[in-house]
Amino acid sequence: MPELGLNDGRYTGFATSMATREFTTNSAEETIALGYKIASGLTPPKLVLLRGELGAGKTTLVKGIAEAFHAASQDDVTSPTFTLVHEYRGPDVNIYHIDLYRVDTQRQLETLGLDDLIAGNSILLIEWGEKFQRFERERDIEIAIESLGENQRIIRLKGKSLGGHPLKERQES
Amino acid sequence: MTDVYILGIESSCDETAAAVVRSGEKVISNVIFSQIAMHQPYGGVVPELASREHLRAILPVVRKALSDAGQTYQSTDAFAVTQGPGLAGSLLVGISYAKALAFALDKPLITVNHLEGHIHAVLLEERQKGNYELRFPLLALVVSGGHTHLYLAEQQGEIWSYENIGRTRDDAAGEAFDKVAKLLGLGYPGGPVIDKLAPHGDATAVKFPPSQIKNVDRRKSAESEQAPGGPRFDFSYSGIKTAVLRYVQTHNLQPSIEARRQALAAIAKPAIEDYLTRCDRQTLDLVASFQRAMVEDLTRKTLAAARAHNVATLFVTGGVAANDELRQRFERDAAMDGVPVYFPSRPLSTDNAAMIAAAAYPKFLARNFAGMDFSAEAGLVLK
Repeated sequence: MPELGLNDGRYTGFATSMATREFTTNSAEETIALGYKIASGLTPPKLVLLRGELGAGKTTLVKGIAEAFHAASQDDVTSPTFTLVHEYRGPDVNIYHIDLYRVDTQRQLETLGLDDLIAGNSILLIEWGEKFQRFERERDIEIAIESLGENQRIIRLKGKSLGGHPLKERQES
Repeated sequence: MTDVYILGIESSCDETAAAVVRSGEKVISNVIFSQIAMHQPYGGVVPELASREHLRAILPVVRKALSDAGQTYQSTDAFAVTQGPGLAGSLLVGISYAKALAFALDKPLITVNHLEGHIHAVLLEERQKGNYELRFPLLALVVSGGHTHLYLAEQQGEIWSYENIGRTRDDAAGEAFDKVAKLLGLGYPGGPVIDKLAPHGDATAVKFPPSQIKNVDRRKSAESEQAPGGPRFDFSYSGIKTAVLRYVQTHNLQPSIEARRQALAAIAKPAIEDYLTRCDRQTLDLVASFQRAMVEDLTRKTLAAARAHNVATLFVTGGVAANDELRQRFERDAAMDGVPVYFPSRPLSTDNAAMIAAAAYPKFLARNFAGMDFSAEAGLVLK
């Protein structure tokens, strides 16, 4: 793994139980390394929203998260825009990388059967989930990636709690 | 050899499709369900039906495939179904239905990998044209919205096997086309629109440095240990998509893109002239340059792989294989290398079930039948 080269995450909000942490990365490698770091604080089940414009590096971050859980090698993680859901099974945790970029209606969303994926050992990483209110409401963590140019990215984590502590357990339906 | 009629079922992603193919060499029927057309009579909102679009489609699609072919469930020799890769829930609809048919009618059931299907689409049509000569080694580029793969294919007896020697590490080529189209206000998916607009622009106007479409090899040593079989020919199309976005931003194209998006959205079914009149020179040049960069990268890497493996036959298949410039470039450059290149017709380039029935035929001859205990494999690997 390359050196993290990250500042260690600046806490920018403690107003409520919602905390925001902010990181800066300067290359795809650093974004992948940050994915590892984020993964170390993720215990399933989790619903994570990934926000960021086209080319921000959402898939790149997932490469790090999926590899950290030994669910996939970073080269196996590719964009799910067309295929909608990519499933990476790890020894303990299953990662579902979901892209709702081309999903526009509630009806199309229901066709995906995402509820079937929410299980005790699963982490759902959803791109463009903000298109549906449901995910804004149900998400445990939101990761927003902002592009500051060719290589630099600001990555903000917002969640019910962050760090190594397990977040509130989701009710299985 | 008696004729073998195989009913193929494909439901790996958006499309629900069924087809009857005779002995892997003749398409008898080929039905693809269009969700849009089916939605209209219901006015769009039928919640209990919405959960599984494929479930609604599968019965009418299969019935139509059989009746178009003049076949019945009973007269069919075997059922073939896509096992993966794809969306688990979607795949499961086709699989469950195919299992039920095979069980109830006591006929063989054959599973097919979707990507293998794309390769056999080419084979099927070549045989349909009377071309039975096939020289190995065979290299297939499967290039679509969801996939960009290079496979070396081998055939021993009736058994086909495949080795992946290249794939995308981020976005599929078709995805780059579709996203760039949306970025430029041309709608989504817009790959085919880009193909039609590109000849009207100057493909040399915008330079995309090779670094933007190189394959970013982050772990060179680990990779070569894993792949003793030889060099890899991986693709990467995330960078060029971002490069187009940067171009739009630095050249302040956003206002004209927004105007174009709105104007085109007001037209029910825009024709190519509608797109053309709403694209300025700069945009057409950008479109042409983008397509040229994509086409050059796809052909260059594929032909490099073909040379490295002394390939005798080249297949280019999948939705992006319908791109005109890609076809022309492959035909020209492969001819210079003395390698024949084959494409499927446009209807068989995109997802369809005829390719599934065709890929099942050699398995039928080899009696490579599936039991009742298999399930959908979302991440099924072709080998």
